[in-house]
Amino acid sequence: MKFAIQTIAISLTALILELFLPWYGIALAAFTFGYSLKSNANFLAGFIGITLTWGFQILRLDLQAATELTQSVASIVGLKEKYQLIVITLLLGGLIGGMAALTGSLLNQERKYSH
Amino acid sequence: MKVVKFLLSLLITVTLIYLLDNRWVVNGNPVPPLGKFLDPFHGFWRNLERNQNRAPLDEFTVPGLKGKVTIILDSLAIPHLFAENDEDLYFAQGYVTAMHRLWQMELQTHAAAGRVSEIVGPVGLNNDRYMRRLGMGFGAEQALQLMQSNPTARMIVEQYTNGINAYIATLNDQNLPFEYKLLDYKPERWTPLKCALVLMNMSRLLNMGDKDIEMTNALKLFGKDAIALLYPDHEMEEDPVVDKPGGWNFDPIKLDTVPLAVPDELIALHKMPGSDPDNGSNNWAVAGSKTKTGSPILCGDPHLTLSLPSIWYVLQMNAPGVNTMGASLPGAPGIVIGFTDSVAWSITNAQRDLVDWFKIKYFDDKREKYFLDDGWVHTRKVVERFVVRGQQDVYDTIVYTHWGPVTYDRNFHGENNLNDYSFRWTAHHVGEELMTLYKLNRARNHADYMEALDHFASPGQNFVFASVSGDVAMRVQAKYPVRRKNEGKFVLDGTKSSEGWQAFIPNAHNVMDKNPARGFVSSANQYPADSSYPYYITAPEYETYRNRRINQVLRESGDITVEDMMKLQNDNYNLKAAESVPVFLSYLDSTLFNAEERDAYTILKSWNYFNDVESMGASYYEAWLNNLEPLVWDEMESEKLDLARPTIYNTIKLIKEKPDLIFFDLQQTAEKETAKDIVQKAFSLAVEDIADWKAEHPNTEPGWADFKDSYIGHLLRLQPLSVHVRAPGNSDIVNALSKTHGPSWRMVVSLEKTGLKAWGVYPGGQSGNPGSRFYSNLIDRWTKGQYYQFSFLHKPEDLKSSTSLVFIPAEQ
Repeated sequence: MKFAIQTIAISLTALILELFLPWYGIALAAFTFGYSLKSNANFLAGFIGITLTWGFQILRLDLQAATELTQSVASIVGLKEKYQLIVITLLLGGLIGGMAALTGSLLNQERKYSH
Repeated sequence: MKVVKFLLSLLITVTLIYLLDNRWVVNGNPVPPLGKFLDPFHGFWRNLERNQNRAPLDEFTVPGLKGKVTIILDSLAIPHLFAENDEDLYFAQGYVTAMHRLWQMELQTHAAAGRVSEIVGPVGLNNDRYMRRLGMGFGAEQALQLMQSNPTARMIVEQYTNGINAYIATLNDQNLPFEYKLLDYKPERWTPLKCALVLMNMSRLLNMGDKDIEMTNALKLFGKDAIALLYPDHEMEEDPVVDKPGGWNFDPIKLDTVPLAVPDELIALHKMPGSDPDNGSNNWAVAGSKTKTGSPILCGDPHLTLSLPSIWYVLQMNAPGVNTMGASLPGAPGIVIGFTDSVAWSITNAQRDLVDWFKIKYFDDKREKYFLDDGWVHTRKVVERFVVRGQQDVYDTIVYTHWGPVTYDRNFHGENNLNDYSFRWTAHHVGEELMTLYKLNRARNHADYMEALDHFASPGQNFVFASVSGDVAMRVQAKYPVRRKNEGKFVLDGTKSSEGWQAFIPNAHNVMDKNPARGFVSSANQYPADSSYPYYITAPEYETYRNRRINQVLRESGDITVEDMMKLQNDNYNLKAAESVPVFLSYLDSTLFNAEERDAYTILKSWNYFNDVESMGASYYEAWLNNLEPLVWDEMESEKLDLARPTIYNTIKLIKEKPDLIFFDLQQTAEKETAKDIVQKAFSLAVEDIADWKAEHPNTEPGWADFKDSYIGHLLRLQPLSVHVRAPGNSDIVNALSKTHGPSWRMVVSLEKTGLKAWGVYPGGQSGNPGSRFYSNLIDRWTKGQYYQFSFLHKPEDLKSSTSLVFIPAEQ
């Protein structure tokens, strides 16, 4: 339960922060709830949280796209298929989210330990 | 322990963010900042436009306007601007052009200014240095000064600039154009200088053809007689742009003929490219006496290297006193090729020898003084600074003399034998091209057109004209130097100012014609005038096929319709083949044929000389010519020197008329070959090439469109953003679509008294965004030779069911 709440909190906060901050705002969202809503799978919560947010946005944009620019970009960066680009995008976002959430949770432990 | 874990995790996270937030070059390949670029909220995903229309009405406040501007975007995303005054009209043009094409405009002006290495790094440096050493910025600065001294021209560039900058001010990380994200940089503020650079760039693309150094080498190697035979000033006098023998009623400027010293030297230098001879164009206008409606029809199709985002941007501009529509060049205010309510005009390149190289005699190695006339004169040294991405700045000192910049010297292309030549080019001596556009865009009759053209200096163009009142006209306009015979064909002696241009041909003496008896005017980059024209004319080369085909069709036609004219713009008849294939075939010894050669012979024998999509004869002929020219002109291939091949017209003529000419002998073989041997050898090689092509393309016949494989390339040479087309035509054919060059815009205008009608198409689309459905949507009809009829509006309400953007001035 705590894991689910943490994941959703990261996902929604990232969505909001993306409107105001550069792309690495997602790290701030994951870090915050890695720290404050610490679960027993913080990396996974950050990973899934950001993947959800980014996946939702990609779906929204790509399904309505007028051209095959996604496929063209995939080719430009040396990939064959468009879905490979989507997977790599989600992995990158997930990795940053996961690492930031993990870092947050470790700070929480660190503070508990030192008090 | 916990501290270490936390710090380690933090370090990894921050490092990852840093790595993904920056652009890297890995093994020479640029990698975009992947985090930024792939983030679906800021990255390229945001450039995926929706496949649906914008809201029908969009109102927003734009600072810098005097009044309200209404912009109707039609179904092709062509903007129709309605402004209350000229200031707002040019502001709006700048704004909408930037809205669709900002990245392209900025890249092209960076390229012209020699600043591409700021964006792409060291790979751009050689070309950047070349642009500076051609004096591109030097010319643009002078053009800018002239613009700023004319209140109207100044208003136009300043308002256009303000409009572009107003658009740039709306950009943020999300809506930045795609290529900025890919290359990871941001647009800078637009300036009026950039408008001048766009025009300089057109001069470079069109009016910088030259072979003085090549001719000097040829003179030394082959002698005077060979020069006259291989490189005649013009190859035939048939069908010049204006043919009115004895009709030149003026006293030409005569120069005291100082005998020009003929140079005696070999210049070891590999030049950078000048204008591509495939940058040509067609235009013509037929008088009402030859058309079905009784009204004139005007046609134009400029040929350039095809690229995406498209070269042209189409729009309509309306304000009190002006209603004009047509193709504009992103970055230059006004309509370049188009029409008003009363007239239409188009342009083709009017190349002449406009480039000279003057040999400089320096006082000493410091290059601070050089000899001119009777003493030592100071040079001007300009230190150019190059900002190179990912590297330290590079500095280059360029020496300027009275003649112009010394392009090649010990610092640049030092492989030469260090003879310094100063580059003189008419484009350094500026005109008021923007005033020409301003006045053409408001022209009502022939007199207005003539007055507009008086401002025009470079690049030299054949301006075709037609009016609703029934006139058709042609004028070859530029600031052309008066040349003495052979002047400018070879390098010149820079120590004597008498070797330079002494005068320019007055505008009134330029080649022109109005309502000729034959009922039409036309131009296709051919020789400009009949032999009675009193000025000496020479050029690197003139076109000899498209012009004759166009004139033949126009002469034979009556009751001409708009459809006939569209058909002629897309005419694929290969006159060059018709004039050479029968002779080439007669030179072949069929007893030597293998099976494949026998088939090829049959295909060529039965070919109708049309370069249609499926034509195999066209493919064999092209392969044949591609092998023939290097064999014939093997003398022109040199590792150390630049030499120029004679034109294909002259090559074919010599093969026909002088088959025993020494140049047909292959230098590598001991035997003595004639034209017949060369033609046969080239034929065998061509058949082998086609066999290789077949092996690479199993299950495909070598039909012309597949063999040619035309494509429209993205400006960054990114294959996935380029478009290949199966299309007919070729260079030297009216439908001049070769592999990479072709009609960048086709326009047909019927100037009917009941209301002018216009059609057009171009290979691309209005938007420069590859994520927009307007990026390449016009290519399909363009490939098929089909057109769109334009909505030429008189008021915004004339077009139903469209999108309107309304700009409201911000409160002062």
